[in-house]
Amino acid sequence: MLVLIVLTALIMAPLGLFARYEPRPVIGWVLALAPLALFVVISALAPEVLAGGRLEQVIPWVPRMGLELRFALDGLSMLFALLVSGIGTLVVLYTAYYLAGDPGMGRFYLTLFIFMGAMLGLVLADNVLTMFMFWELTSVSSYLLVGYKHDYPSARRGAQMGLLITVGGGLALLVGLVLLGNVAGSYTISEILAAGEQIKASPFYTPAMLLIFLGCFTKSAQFPFHFWLPNAMQAPTPASAYLHSATMVKAGIYLLARLHPTLSDTPLWLYTLTGVGMTTMLIGAVVANRRDDIKGLLAYSTISKLGTMVLLAGMGGPEAPAALVATILAHALYKGALFMLAGAVDHEADTRSLAQLGGLRRAMPWTAALSILSSLSMAGVPILFGFVAKEEQLYAAVDNGLPPGLDIVVLVAVVTSAVFGVLYSWRLVSGVFFGPRGSGMKEHVHEAPAGMLIGPALLTTFSVVLPLGLLPATATLLQPAVNAISNEGAKISLYLFPSEIGLPLILSMTALLIGAVLTRFEPQIVAAPSPLPPWLNGDRIYDAAVDGVLRGATAFTRTLQNGRLRSYMTWSVLSLVAVVAPPLLFFGFNGLALPTLDGVEPFEFVSMLLIPIGVIATLQARTRLGAIIAASFVGLMVAYIFVIYSAPDLALTQLLVEILTTVFLVLLFAVMPASFEPLTAPAERSRDGLIAVIGGLVFAGIAFAASSSTELSPISQAFRAESQSQGFGDNVVNVILVDFRGFDTMGEIVVLFIALMGIYAMLRLRPGAGLARDDAETPAQPASPEAPAPQGNGQPGRPTPKEQEAPVAGKGR
Amino acid sequence: MYDSIILRNVSRLMFPILLLLSLFMLVRGHNLPGGGFIGGLVAASAFILQIIAAGPTYVRTSFQINFLNLAAFGVIFAALWGLPGLVTGEAYMLAFWLKEPIPGIGKLGTPVLFDIGVYLTVIGVTTQLALVLAEEPTLYPIQRPPARPNATAPEV
Repeated sequence: MLVLIVLTALIMAPLGLFARYEPRPVIGWVLALAPLALFVVISALAPEVLAGGRLEQVIPWVPRMGLELRFALDGLSMLFALLVSGIGTLVVLYTAYYLAGDPGMGRFYLTLFIFMGAMLGLVLADNVLTMFMFWELTSVSSYLLVGYKHDYPSARRGAQMGLLITVGGGLALLVGLVLLGNVAGSYTISEILAAGEQIKASPFYTPAMLLIFLGCFTKSAQFPFHFWLPNAMQAPTPASAYLHSATMVKAGIYLLARLHPTLSDTPLWLYTLTGVGMTTMLIGAVVANRRDDIKGLLAYSTISKLGTMVLLAGMGGPEAPAALVATILAHALYKGALFMLAGAVDHEADTRSLAQLGGLRRAMPWTAALSILSSLSMAGVPILFGFVAKEEQLYAAVDNGLPPGLDIVVLVAVVTSAVFGVLYSWRLVSGVFFGPRGSGMKEHVHEAPAGMLIGPALLTTFSVVLPLGLLPATATLLQPAVNAISNEGAKISLYLFPSEIGLPLILSMTALLIGAVLTRFEPQIVAAPSPLPPWLNGDRIYDAAVDGVLRGATAFTRTLQNGRLRSYMTWSVLSLVAVVAPPLLFFGFNGLALPTLDGVEPFEFVSMLLIPIGVIATLQARTRLGAIIAASFVGLMVAYIFVIYSAPDLALTQLLVEILTTVFLVLLFAVMPASFEPLTAPAERSRDGLIAVIGGLVFAGIAFAASSSTELSPISQAFRAESQSQGFGDNVVNVILVDFRGFDTMGEIVVLFIALMGIYAMLRLRPGAGLARDDAETPAQPASPEAPAPQGNGQPGRPTPKEQEAPVAGKGR
Repeated sequence: MYDSIILRNVSRLMFPILLLLSLFMLVRGHNLPGGGFIGGLVAASAFILQIIAAGPTYVRTSFQINFLNLAAFGVIFAALWGLPGLVTGEAYMLAFWLKEPIPGIGKLGTPVLFDIGVYLTVIGVTTQLALVLAEEPTLYPIQRPPARPNATAPEV
């Protein structure tokens, strides 16, 4: 069942391509049925989870590596899965109207469904490796969605930035998860959690956790990696609402919550998450007030809330799990709605700048009403669900698990972010819908199509209705999620108003009040200097880093691949020697006797002596042809040695390779000047000679060590014994090639083919030269003017009979 | 490429013999020295001899073989004969043999067919390489017709 949930979305993906045809709204409605069905199915599973159950499904994948597709549904997974499928339904519907008329809509749906499947897989996975696979898939689909408008450099930059940062963090995460799995002895999440004490006692706990934090912080846009999220706002608004606010960016929070039950409760966890979460929360809240772009404002407010969630996951205390779950739900509800509404405003008014917008409440009354309600929820104004969640946050902050001193700091920070939350909520509503009519908008602004308002309307309704009587039911629904996060049996109880007036309520009201007062000073606050020093600009650091990597890579490539064959040879030989020589020197010669000349026949000795003579002749040759002949002589002598020692297969192969090598060399060298010209200084030549000698010695050493080792019995005996019985062949060499080691041969012919592709591309597909000859590949038109017959070496060779027959139209032009 | 009537005629005579020899090497490979790699090299040398004697265009027009495709086909063909092992749930490339030997060829099994894939790959890669080199315009310049003088020459 659980696998089917994940697979359904992935299988739906290609169907999304149908959205390129008309009538699009209808297709959008039909497509939205899929996530709706998933939502219904997950809801149908809910009673079992609510009763404290846990659904599991395992499909073995690579059993020997401990890889399996293991899925489980518990309270936390269910909360996220419901959000992913529920908001997914609304987003799919919204897209049909938002992107109406856009030719790439099919592609957008394709990626959106891939993301949906990946995100469902991520939250349902019960194996860290399965989870990681889906984790990376969400990064990739986010990349494709942010880069949807790939004609724009800013979209490409935003996409690449998000990808590099989240996937870079993903790499760290993978290492962390593998460390965790190795310590726990299992990659199953439930077993890792069961081994919590053992992991915490292990020396790998700190590195593993730090790496996992890195993965979570990059994914969930925590300071100092937060800057990719505003840049990801280049995505079409449905993707921003879905990925970059409601679901994907919460993946990091999800993982932290998942590991919370047994792996938290250490100073490392407490201080890292509290510090990073608090910083992110404050920076996001402050910077959101300096943004002019409404999507940018919403992005920074999202960063702020993600910081709040990390803080709640980190700081401990009895109320924190409940507050975390309530915040996740509240945020998904109001932020998903606000993003979609911002998209509607952008769609109709054709601008997202607060400076250019204004007074839209008359032109877009429904959008205005929904935005006001959702913004009130974002500001935490009473009787909306955002207020309930903020109450929970303040409860948790008052009763946190931090040491004295620090607990006050956290409390003040939470209140401060609430104050700024009021301010940016007010800016959003007043800037777009109130005041004089904006200057930069379209001439006639209309209300957004009803299809674009359905989603935000539903989400806003939840924000409004849940606190009005549905709070006990909501708490019941969220309790399993709290159980999954908390190790102390925390209880969630949501109140619209607490029975007694305590510190949290006073703080909440104070925040509202201060926020309301601050709205009077909005211009000053917007114009205030940035809270971050100018050098701490993530965008700029990112650009510098990417630039530096590219420049470094260029410099590295220029040094290593300078187009001179001799320097390629130098680097290849040197790196081989560097890798092979140390183990050879340390271990290769243990217990080996020096070879003796006993039993070597005189003619064998002479043939061996001829090889070095051939090598010297090659080096001394004055002409290219002479060098080729001398080098071939060396090869032939080697083949002869194979014959002497009865290795006919090797001898045959060596002989043929030698012949063909000579042919290729002649083909290349025939057109070059007959004699060599010295291009290098004598000192350089001595250096190259030394490298060559060292390389030769190392390989001679390997050959010697391999053939004279007495410690290991040679594998050839086993092969010889089994060649006839197992491989049905008398020729052991060939049986090894095609049967015993057939997979190696497979690899070799693939390498051979890749080499051909490389040479072909280099000679035929390079710009300019050889391009004219491409159609010579189709032998049907050999004499077309673009592909005249090649003539050997510039000399007009006698045309072959075929060429004489063929019309030589090209010659006349 | 090399304008020699002796080479051209001898190579034309040699061609079928070399091809037969390569097939012989391929077939006998399982029990005696030979095999797909050696056979492939022999066949490739047959083609390359034609390239040297009569020129690459002659080889392209008279054989009508796209050696690049032949090499690709060889790799895929070889890979294909590893699949039966997977289908039966065993390891990739597990060998399967016919019970009875086929008269004139000997025992037939997936390794022999795999060897044919190697044979085709080696022929394709080696010959295509020689063709690419022999047709390389910087080595063997194309005799281009002289550019039409001042057809649309920009005035300086």
